[in-house]
Order: sequence, then structure tokens, then C-alpha cells
Amino acid sequence: MIEQGVLLYTDALASFFTPEALVSVLFDGLAKASLYVMIASGLTLVFGLMGVLNFAHGSLTMFGAYLGGLVLVLIVGGSPTDPVALGGFFLAVVVVFGALGLLGGVLEWGLIRPIYDRPPLYQILLTFGLALILDELARIVVSFYGIQPIASWQAALSTKPAILGRTYDLGPTSLPGLELFQIGFGLLTVGFIWAFLTQTRYGLYVRAGSQDAEMARALGINVRRVFTVIFALGTGLAGLAGLLLAWDQAWGASVPLAAETLLPAFVVVIIGGLGTVRGTVVASVLVGMVDAITTWWFNEAITFTGLPEMFLFLILVIVLALKPQGLYGVSEVGGH
Amino acid sequence: MSLLTVRDIHTYYGESHILEGVSLSVDRGEVVALVGRNGVGKTTTLRSILQLSPPRSGRVTFDGSELTGLDTHAVAQAGIGWIPEDRRIFDQLTVAENLRVALPPSTETADGLSVAYETFPALQEHQDRDGGDLSGGQQQMLAVARGLIGDNELLLIDEPSEGLAPLIVERVGRALARAAESSTILLVEQNLGLALDLADRFYVLDTGKIVDSGSTAGLSADSDRFRRYVSA
Repeated sequence: MIEQGVLLYTDALASFFTPEALVSVLFDGLAKASLYVMIASGLTLVFGLMGVLNFAHGSLTMFGAYLGGLVLVLIVGGSPTDPVALGGFFLAVVVVFGALGLLGGVLEWGLIRPIYDRPPLYQILLTFGLALILDELARIVVSFYGIQPIASWQAALSTKPAILGRTYDLGPTSLPGLELFQIGFGLLTVGFIWAFLTQTRYGLYVRAGSQDAEMARALGINVRRVFTVIFALGTGLAGLAGLLLAWDQAWGASVPLAAETLLPAFVVVIIGGLGTVRGTVVASVLVGMVDAITTWWFNEAITFTGLPEMFLFLILVIVLALKPQGLYGVSEVGGH
Repeated sequence: MSLLTVRDIHTYYGESHILEGVSLSVDRGEVVALVGRNGVGKTTTLRSILQLSPPRSGRVTFDGSELTGLDTHAVAQAGIGWIPEDRRIFDQLTVAENLRVALPPSTETADGLSVAYETFPALQEHQDRDGGDLSGGQQQMLAVARGLIGDNELLLIDEPSEGLAPLIVERVGRALARAAESSTILLVEQNLGLALDLADRFYVLDTGKIVDSGSTAGLSADSDRFRRYVSA
């Protein structure tokens, strides 16, 4: 019996180190990393630059999934052609980013700004309460329109174009089109955030304001407005993550998506170091790769599909034990 | 009409009454020194003008416009620059970024940076280093340069020579003397020699009140007039 088990693992090890498996796991890991970076980047921007821990982040991702899904269903319908579906997706990007960004701006201005000077517990309670309200609101609205709130919204999933449903030969293996699309979208998002923060005057104001808000104000920077823009950017990115997930069979638009994305977002942000964008990118790649490797192992060698998720938290425990501030963390974040 | 007028301001930190009716004025083109011992309210006076520590009563006007009640960024946009006591460099921004953040949007970046680098050539050598990696003297030069390149009619300068080596004090002093030729300055300075060299007039602050003022002409740092309130 033991000999059989050893043989099984030896065979699995041999098939893992084949070019087909390695390339497949690499791209699967990058696709997962792209999803994690999309889910977590808005959260880390808002925490790193403003010091606000936004527990409603997952709910805003879920809103993005439903709103993006709605745009896709309205434009693409049930029989998607590739150009219409892709065009619909990029229109949904604009609609979701704009609408969620606007919602985020209003939330920051109306709810969060008045409690900046209070202890962090106030922000946590406020955003947690906001998450509960947004989740219930979504549940009521989708139920009203006859959509099952706890299952993935199939109408949105079915708008995925055939071009992303196919697999593509890449060297020794073939890869799903959706994974390649997610990797490309994740890279674009990271590039956009990097360019905004480092190549624009407003990005410079954001970095200055997050380090020393008082000095930034004394240099003529309207730090309150900067924080509103950052919160809007963070919620807009949360919405885009939701839109990307609306086409993914493993996630899909549903009300529980709020909690399902909030937890990994926090894990990635904590591993990377609270509030550092670079840390979030590195942590996303690390978590994505470990997730892909363990998923392969627990599908091919040991049939126990829940274990890959456990490894995500195992990385968290190991990183916190060795480096309590995370990979790139600093002791203090937020400029106000 | 004075460029800056501070009229009977009372500023508190919590329940501590720090400024007890401070009044002063600075005319266009003047350099005015505000001197006094540590902890008498000099920095608080500058913070009150900037509305970083808004006075509970009294008025601050700049070029005829009321500053009281404005947000600090609006005060800065009105044309008041600040070189703070503790430098307040943005540690994680490079030297060039620390300077760019102080430039008004209408100023070409290259022009603004060249002014700073002409004044302190050492900054150009370190332009790609993070502000937090600079020595104390280099950080002070950066803080002064950042104040000088803003499009400011009035500069509030707080202890620019504090904790610096004599060579750096001399360089900073030269830069301030050059700035004084074209700007209006309210200078807080413990180094009485430097303050009297630069200033046209002075105010002495003691425990939150102005206790003496006048022209600096003919006065020296060891004058009896200062000894009582300024010497430790």
C-alpha cells in the first residue's frame, strides 16, 4: 500500500516536471496572480495612501461584477460574436470604472472624510457596516429581477466570446484564452497604476500627500481632493476586478463574491506589506504561483480540491511569522 | 499697506494657550525676524499664519485678503511658502520629485529645477536619490530650495540653521540673502547673528506675547535688548 503511494507520488513528480505541466502551471499561476492583483490593488492603494482599511472593498468588487455583467448582457446578449463581446467588455470597463469610481468618491466625501480624525476602529466599523448594506442591497435587487443571488450569474458568464473560450497552443502545452486575457488585463492594470503614481503630476501629489499630508497642504496641494480621487480610483479598480471575474467560471457574478474576494485581497495585501503597491504585485505573483502549483498537485496526485486554498493562508502565516510587516511593509501608512 | 498683517491672534493646543494676542506685520520686500527662546510660540505663530494651527480668535490678512478660516492649501496657493523647522522632506520621493511637488503647475519643471540646482549644486548630483537617504545638511538645502522655487510672495522660514555644520549654515545663509533680494520673508531664527544679518526689522516673542520690536539697524546679537529674552 505504502509502495503504491510512493509510486503515485513519484509518477506525479515526474509528470509535474514535464515542459507541458510546467508551462501550464506557470500561466495558470500568472492568471491567478492577475486576478489577485486586480482584487487587491484598490484595497492596497486606499490603505497605503490614506490609511483607510476598507472592508467594503469586496462588496464593491461584487457591484462591479453585476454592473459589468449587466452591460455585457444588454450589449452582447445570449449569442456573443467575438467583436461584439470584446467591444462590450471594453465599454463595460468604462462604465464600471466610471460608476464605481463615482460611487467611491461620494462614499469618501460623505462618509469617510468626516471620521479621518477619529481612531481607525471608526473606519473599520463604518466600512464593515457599509459592506453589509451593499451586500443586502445587491441581494434584494438581483432577487427582484429573478436572478439567483448565491449562484454565479449565468447570463453574464454566457456573454464570454468564443475567442476566450478556446485553448491556444503555446510551446509544449495549450492554454485557455481566458487565462491569457486575464494576464494581459492584470499587466495593463499594474502598468496603469504605476504610470499614474510615478509619471503624472497628480500621482506625485498623491505620493507626497500620503507621506506627509500637512507638508503637502503647505505646498498648495488640496490633500482632501487627492484622497477623494484615490478612494475613487481604488473603488474603480475593485469594480474592474469584479468585471473580469464575471466571465470566469470559477468565480462569476454573485452576492457571495464580496466575501470570496475580500479574504484573498486582505491575504495578498498583508503578505505584500500593508499599503505597498509593489508588495501587492509581488505577493499576488507568489500567491498565484503557489495556488497554481498546489492546485495541480491536489488535482493530479491527491484528490482534495479544498487544500490549495489552505496553502494561501499557510503562506500568510509563514510570512507573518518571519516578517510581521509583510514583504515590503512599512511601520506606518497613510498621510492624514 | 503691509503684505502680511497678524492682528491679536490667540492660538491653543488643546487647552494650552500658546499665543496670547500676537500682532505683527511684514511689508512687501522686507525681511522680518521673529526671535525668542525655545518654546515661546515662534513656530506656532508661523503655523497660525498658514492655518495649520488655526487661531481661535484674531485675524490674519495677506495682501488685503483674509486668511483666517481658509484651508492651508488655499493659503499656500495665495502665495505663502513655508520652510519648516524639521525640514519635512518627503523621504520616499527623490530629490527632483521633492522639488517638482513644490512647483506651481504653470512653471516649467526644467526652469524650476534649474533655479534650485543653481542655488545648491549638490542637489543636482543627488537628484535621483530618495530624500530620506540625504544627510541632514543636504535635506536642509533641499527644504530651502523647495521653499525658494515656489511662486511665493512671502516666505515663512523656521530655524533654517538649526543643527547644521557651519559650512552648511553659510551656504543656506547665502541662499536666503539672495532670496531676500526678491522676496518678503518672515524668519524665525535662534542664530541671532544670521537673523540680524538678513532682517530689516525684528519682533521678540516671549511666552506667547510680542515683548519688543524695532529696526535691526545698529543692533548686534549680544545687545542688551536681546539678552533678556533670547539668551538661554
